[in-house]
Parts: sequence; C-alpha cells; structure tokens
Amino acid sequence: MFNAERFIDEIVKKLKDDIDGKALIAFSGGVDSTVCAALVNLAIGKKLIAVHVDTGYMRKDESKNVKKLMDNIDLNYHFINASKEFYSALKGIVDPEKKRKIIGEKFIRIFEKVAEKEKVDYLVQGTIAPDWIESGGQLRDVIKSHHNVGGLPEKMKLKLIEPLRDLYKDEVRRVARVLKLPVAEKQPFPGPGLAIRIIGEATPERTEIVREACDIVEKEIEIAVKNGLMEMPWQYFAVLLPIKSVGVQGDKRAYGYVIAVRAVHSIDAMTCAFSKIPNDVIDNISTKITNKMKDKVNRIVYDVTNKPPSTVEWE
Amino acid sequence: MVKIYVVDNGGQWTHREWRTLRDLEVDTKIVPNTISFDELIKDNINGLVLSGGAPRIGLEDELGNTSEYLEKAAFPILGICAGHHFMGRFFGGKVLPSKTPEFGKIELKIIKQDPLFEGVTKKSIVWESHNDEVKILPNDFEILANSENCKIQAMKHKNKPFYGLQFHPEVEHTEFGEKIFRNFVKICEE
Repeated sequence: MFNAERFIDEIVKKLKDDIDGKALIAFSGGVDSTVCAALVNLAIGKKLIAVHVDTGYMRKDESKNVKKLMDNIDLNYHFINASKEFYSALKGIVDPEKKRKIIGEKFIRIFEKVAEKEKVDYLVQGTIAPDWIESGGQLRDVIKSHHNVGGLPEKMKLKLIEPLRDLYKDEVRRVARVLKLPVAEKQPFPGPGLAIRIIGEATPERTEIVREACDIVEKEIEIAVKNGLMEMPWQYFAVLLPIKSVGVQGDKRAYGYVIAVRAVHSIDAMTCAFSKIPNDVIDNISTKITNKMKDKVNRIVYDVTNKPPSTVEWE
Repeated sequence: MVKIYVVDNGGQWTHREWRTLRDLEVDTKIVPNTISFDELIKDNINGLVLSGGAPRIGLEDELGNTSEYLEKAAFPILGICAGHHFMGRFFGGKVLPSKTPEFGKIELKIIKQDPLFEGVTKKSIVWESHNDEVKILPNDFEILANSENCKIQAMKHKNKPFYGLQFHPEVEHTEFGEKIFRNFVKICEE
C-alpha cells in the first residue's frame, strides 16, 4: 500500500540531493502543485520561489484565493497577471491540441523570465502519473498533451523536477492530508484552465460565460453534497459548446449558446463514470444558468459518458 | 515477497497494473517489452503481466520479445487486452476487429469457475477499451468468461498457467478488479 509518510521522508531527502541552488515552482494552487511546493519547501526552504500565473482562464476568484494560499503556507512568491498575453496567443485557435501546446509554451517562457531574474536553474512541476501517461510518447498514443508534459517546448533552459510523477491524485491527496494542506480535497482543475472548457475559440467574452457557468455548477453541486443529496463527484464543471439553439424567453425568440454540465466519479482519472446527479440538482443548475445568463445561454445538456470512451474534460 | 513484473506494451493503464500489484505488496516493476527472457529469469520473477497498448499489435507485428516469454515461461502470465490478443494469436487463435467494440462499463459473465475468479460473482461490472478481440480460441485454451458482444472475455491455457483477459481488471471501476489481481498473485505464489 502507498505510505504517505514514507513517501514524504524519501522524496524530501531526494529533493535535497537533486536541487543544487534555487528552484522555481509552477504554482496553480491545486492539490498537485501545492503538495509539490510544500515538499520542496521542506527540502530547500526559502530557496524555493513559487510563481502563479493568472492566465485569464482561471475560475472565478481563483487567482485571488491562490494569493491567499501562498501567504498562508508562507511561500516566497511571484504573482503574474498574463491574461492579455494568453488571450492574444489563443486568438483564432480552435484545435484543442494547439491550445494546450500554446499554453504549455507560454507558461514556460514566463517561468524562464522569472528564472533568469532570480538566477534559478530548476523548475518544479506537480506532474502526476496520468499527465505523462496521457501525453503519450514512444509506445503510448497521445490522448491529450498535458500542458506540463506534452505541452512543454522541446528546447528549454530549466531543469525539470517532478516529485509526484509516479503518483495518482488519490495518493497526492493522502500526502496533502499528512502535510495538513488546506487543498487536500480540492477538485482537479487542468492547467490550460477554462480554455479547454470552451469548444472552439477561447475568446475573453466566451471565457466569461463558461467562468460564470462553472461557478454555478460548482456551487449548486457543493450545496447538494452538503445537504446529503449526492456524493461529492471527482470533478464537476461546465463546458461551453460552439453551437446555438433556439429558445423562448418572455414570449420572445431567443438564440443562444448551449452549456454542457459534466460531473464524474473517479479516484485517479484513469477511468471515470458519469455522476448520477439527482434530477432536482440538475434542474437547479439548469434554471440558475439560463436565468442568470439569459442573454447568452438558453439550453443545458448533461454529459452521460464514461471514460473510456470519453475523457473527463472535453478537450 | 512474490515478484511480478509488468511488461509495457504502451497501454494507458500499464502504470495502473503496476500500482495494483504494488498495493498488494508485490515486488513489482514496469519493464519494456524488449527485455529478454534471460533477464527476467535472472531477476527470479514469479509471474508476468502483459499490458495492453494502442497499436493494433494483436493483429500484426511482433510485440517486442513477448513470443519468447510465451514460448519459454513456466511461471504464470496474465495477458490483458493487447497482451491477451497476442497470447491468443501466438497459440494459434485468431484476432480480428470487433463487430461491436466495447468501451467503458460492460457486464462480464463467468461461464467456467477458475482460481482466477475466486470470490467474483457470476455477473459483474468490468471496464473495457478495445477495438479488436480474440475471435477464434487458440489450441489448448478454454473460455472462462464472456460478455454480450464479446465471446472471449477471459481464456486460460489448459496445461500452462497462462491467462488472457479482454477486460481491464487493473482499473478502479472494474468491480472485482483488485480481487482478480489478488487471485493472480496467489496463483504466482503457488
């Protein structure tokens, strides 16, 4: 069985040996990068610099909360708002693999700039097993290029350190609990963020729509879980589809976007079953989204596919 | 400590097979399918798992040195998906594209009891992900389980401790997956 205490002891020792000097960590504030930061912090202390990039594709208030988290766990950090850069890099981009690759490269270039200024040689990433498995290479097919593996540019100056490479999310959570980190139970959020929850071009306008819809889905499901109506899904969110449909609002014709709601059960993201959400909960989600965003969205669908054949995220 | 290696054929779940074995306190390691039989013997392994993989290797080509393992091994071998296909083909069976490929949740029906399925109910949920399947049973094999759209979900060699599974016991959503692995570990210990 995976032993979190033993893992922490061994990895901290290894990190002390492997990192000679200063290191930079790509810090999204999710479970993986927070655990990674805590482990490297134990190994090299203040020689670790955390960098959080607000890509513009973060969830509602996410970057604000990450800032608080970095203060809380006493990290040495840089906070970079690069929304405009990311939006313009993704202008006109529709292909999901291209989106992921552009985002992966942008991240690295930003980290390199900070690294140069701070004279850092190492980049720490919270890569976990499904990231490199799905990114493919050699015998394995590319399912999707995770921004931190398949999205990395071929040439980069920083040396990579990935302490969680052989772990799955449930194991990372166990490590987080031992380290008493407040993010242990947080749902996964992909590095490319909302950009891959917008099918088609991820414009700022469409990002606002999916950001709001994701927020509603999260809140409604969390309330339902709290009230004992359903089990906490592994991941739950909204996806903005690139099609419009006809509706009627206040006796007037409407023509708006479709939002797909996705919620899945899993322990490691390698297989998933769609969550059996009670009808009342899905009803609330549907009504809230279509009322709050009446000018944009007038239809909600629920995704009922397992993995395989689908994946958790749509892109 | 029993030692079982996982031969990597490029599957999405190779690492999950490793993890399941490690969680059962097995001394385990992922090895490339190009490792020679002699190297495996040198390590004194008690069993081998042949992983699945994306290339349609069951239909064509070689699968690294897998032929050599199947030819020479006296220890138990568990072939999963592509590993199962290759085993089927190696012993004279036929692997063809499935008429109805299966992905995700499928009901497995055990038709012949075997130590591998000890403690597994006659009908259970398994997770699948395949485009091809063993259509014609190889010589000296018997069918242990099927599903609505796939006749050979599990097969066993009559004289050797070799098993082939079309479904994936290593993933979380396969109801008795861990149990099946536990049984395989037991078979390797004997």
